[in-house]
Amino acid sequence: MTIQERLAGIISEKLGVEPAEVIPEARFIEDLGADSLDIVELIMDLEDEFDLEIPDEEAEKLTTVGEAIKYIESQ
Amino acid sequence: MKTEITKMLGIRYPIFQGGMAWVSDGHLAAAVSNAGGLGIIGAGSAPGKVVQEEIKKARQLTDKPFGVNIMLMSPEVDEVVDVVCQERVDVVTTGAGNPGKYMQSLEKAGIKVFPIVPTLGLAKRLSRYPIAGIIAEGGEAGGHVGDVSTMVLVALLSREIDVPVIAAGGIADGRGLLAALALGAEGVQLGTVFVCTEECKVHDNYKKAILRAKERSTKVTGKTIKRPVRCIENQLVRKLEKMDREKVSPEEFEIIAAGSLREAVHEGDVEMGSLMAGQSAALVNSIKSVAEVVESIVAEAHQARDRVDNFFKGVGSYV
Repeated sequence: MTIQERLAGIISEKLGVEPAEVIPEARFIEDLGADSLDIVELIMDLEDEFDLEIPDEEAEKLTTVGEAIKYIESQ
Repeated sequence: MKTEITKMLGIRYPIFQGGMAWVSDGHLAAAVSNAGGLGIIGAGSAPGKVVQEEIKKARQLTDKPFGVNIMLMSPEVDEVVDVVCQERVDVVTTGAGNPGKYMQSLEKAGIKVFPIVPTLGLAKRLSRYPIAGIIAEGGEAGGHVGDVSTMVLVALLSREIDVPVIAAGGIADGRGLLAALALGAEGVQLGTVFVCTEECKVHDNYKKAILRAKERSTKVTGKTIKRPVRCIENQLVRKLEKMDREKVSPEEFEIIAAGSLREAVHEGDVEMGSLMAGQSAALVNSIKSVAEVVESIVAEAHQARDRVDNFFKGVGSYV
């Protein structure tokens, strides 16, 4: 599975959206309907899934699916 | 009383007065600290300089510990963090967001940080930092709120989080204090009841609106813009509810909501002002001094404990 596919699984489950909606351009809040509390939980789910630690300063910058993919790839 | 919180902070009762923007100034905070609780200045969206003046005011009025609540959505938040670090206040509570990125500077200044959280998720995330405790605030609370009830949230956090839990949302009397302690909390935080005190300087109309409020008088608006706020229902709330239904943009919402808290607090505009209050407004029926509020909460909690104690002893109900 690609990073995007794994992300799509987690995000669609967490936010109740279709995996197909989880495209790189999608913004967590505006397009996928997340609130700030969803994002906190999502970040922790990503940490578990990809076995990494995302500091709050970095987490704050991840506003789209694409940014999350790029961040995970860079780790 | 003695709990983890009273021991940690050196205060008489494990009762925090919730930080309320425009409402809890240095004067009210000092009164609460002098009464044996922990007074908290609400920074709201005030500039750092204003917050600093309130801290200095409180210091003149009390030698007891007190705190500052930092509203993380405030545009002035960086400046306010600088001020509290510079002033080395005893306690900081944070609301309306994730204080993660400020934790290092606050810790360095020796400040005990108690983030206010509405979910276990955020509590877990913040447990990575050296927080002194965590305030579990249920959706019954006034102002910026989450939607999990205090009953569930306090039990959950007490079970799952290693630092002391303070229960907030829906508590205004001794029964609430005892219930929170039974759920696993080491202390409570109350806001609404402290608005209706002699020492609180808000407009009388605001206090009267709380005294009149019943259990369904408060409403949450702003859910569509993901910034839910609980206030006593009035013309403003009905207007915001309509905007919620019409899904207007956060910017439009902001135009109507901005300044409305100040209007309510200082001008006493009970129709177009934002009368932030929790559901516990229904439990607040008179204006007392801060000391009377604190002492009556503790006395009532004792009575409530004796009543429950009798159930376990098999003695029966009322004492």
